[in-house]
Amino acid sequence: MSEKLRESLSALMDDEADELELERVLSQISQNDELRSSWQGYHHARDAAAGQASTFTGIDISARVREAIAQDGATAQGKAPWWRPVASFAVAASVMATVGLGGQQLSQLNSGYQDRSSYAGNVSPVGLHNAVGATPMRASYGTRSVPALQPATNEAYRELARQRLKQYGQSHAEQAALNTPQGLIHFARVERITE
Amino acid sequence: MVVLARLVLPILAFPALVMAQPETQCGDSDPAALQWLDKMSRSTQEISYQGVVTYQRGDDLQVMQLSRGVQGDVASDQITRLTGQGAQVVRDNHPLGLLHPGHMLLQLGDSSGGDCGLATHYRLSMGEGERVAGRQTVRLVMAPRDLYRYGYQLELDSTTALLLKASTVDRGDRVLERFQYADLAYSGRWHEEPGVDVVHRAGQAGQATPGPKMQMAWGLRWLPPGFVATEEQSAGAARRTYTDGMAVFSVFLETLAARMPSGEGVVREGSTTSYTRGIQLDGQPLLVTVIGEVPVNTARMLADSVTQAR
Repeated sequence: MSEKLRESLSALMDDEADELELERVLSQISQNDELRSSWQGYHHARDAAAGQASTFTGIDISARVREAIAQDGATAQGKAPWWRPVASFAVAASVMATVGLGGQQLSQLNSGYQDRSSYAGNVSPVGLHNAVGATPMRASYGTRSVPALQPATNEAYRELARQRLKQYGQSHAEQAALNTPQGLIHFARVERITE
Repeated sequence: MVVLARLVLPILAFPALVMAQPETQCGDSDPAALQWLDKMSRSTQEISYQGVVTYQRGDDLQVMQLSRGVQGDVASDQITRLTGQGAQVVRDNHPLGLLHPGHMLLQLGDSSGGDCGLATHYRLSMGEGERVAGRQTVRLVMAPRDLYRYGYQLELDSTTALLLKASTVDRGDRVLERFQYADLAYSGRWHEEPGVDVVHRAGQAGQATPGPKMQMAWGLRWLPPGFVATEEQSAGAARRTYTDGMAVFSVFLETLAARMPSGEGVVREGSTTSYTRGIQLDGQPLLVTVIGEVPVNTARMLADSVTQAR
């Protein structure tokens, strides 16, 4: 995998990819049928392992995201794309699924964690090596069902994330203050400290 | 060590969570850095000091007054916001002997992190520090060895090893947030107290933190390497918190009345990620929230790994 693609991938993982990066990664996936079918097979096996009927093996998310990009470009130029969080998530999941199958060493991938036994058959866990290269990175698998392009739902989730940060921030800071050298400074992150 | 053993046991109840330490390669880390980390962890506990601290993330700058007084074998801490909300956090009579899991990970002679200690998960290097709050510092750079955590650039007082400045950096070397002392004196409490509206009594060691409850027994099938639980996990708790000694994240679970359509939400402030996702366990719709000073992908993977405990 090229350094450029690796960087894009990294940006996708952090939800910081711009549209160019998204398109670049998408085009890599779309040009390689083998990678795409590996991805679909992987999710199928994962669902089977989790005891669920596979719901989306036939759905090519990258195609759907490309469609969304095209539509968005036509209708909402200059505005923040409403589909982006979903799109980047779906793409990150699909891209990450191809990385481990794309030549990374499984022996290395397997050393960092032990829950690989929960995955079925000959399907390998996915993984990514960072530039440091010392510890394997297992990628996110995405949601447990189809990451649908539903702007309202994802705006709702973002709002939930915002509210929960307010609600739980202090309880998290409490633990952080007890366990790291910054101590009570962690409370600086709490929006409104309560008794 | 007894405390640590008690904390580790609940994790062992989930076999999948017993993680093999990755092959340790810490020869590329400066051994002196491990000594400094150890010294920093101890001085944070044992020294009395007071000062003014700034905390910055993006355009947001906060100023706080902070003090720690050690008397005999107990310590009292206090932090007061001088900007924004008039709030104060106080922790009195905290026993010095009671080490939290996070501090143990920073101190040498603890086997939980392997011989390399934190160098297993961060590449450590030393450099010449800048002047902070009028004091000379040494610089300790902690570069993460994987993508599950952020990096840190720490400036420690060259005499006492007290942490005077800390920057959290992401993979692109961007500073996500930074705190530093503007003024520091090695002595006890402030005599003149600024006025405050809210005083929060911070949690103590070994004290069960009250919080939302969760009927279903649950756990995580996966943790990033090197993270341990910060406290004994009581049954029915809706929150689980883990630390590697530098980074901390908490996973919260709550039941939903109805199933939400699948999706996710992310909000980031400084180095803090708040991540939500709707899932179902045993037919029960649930909301998973991960709040922590970790990258978004780590939060996603934690949400992926939430499982029902048997």
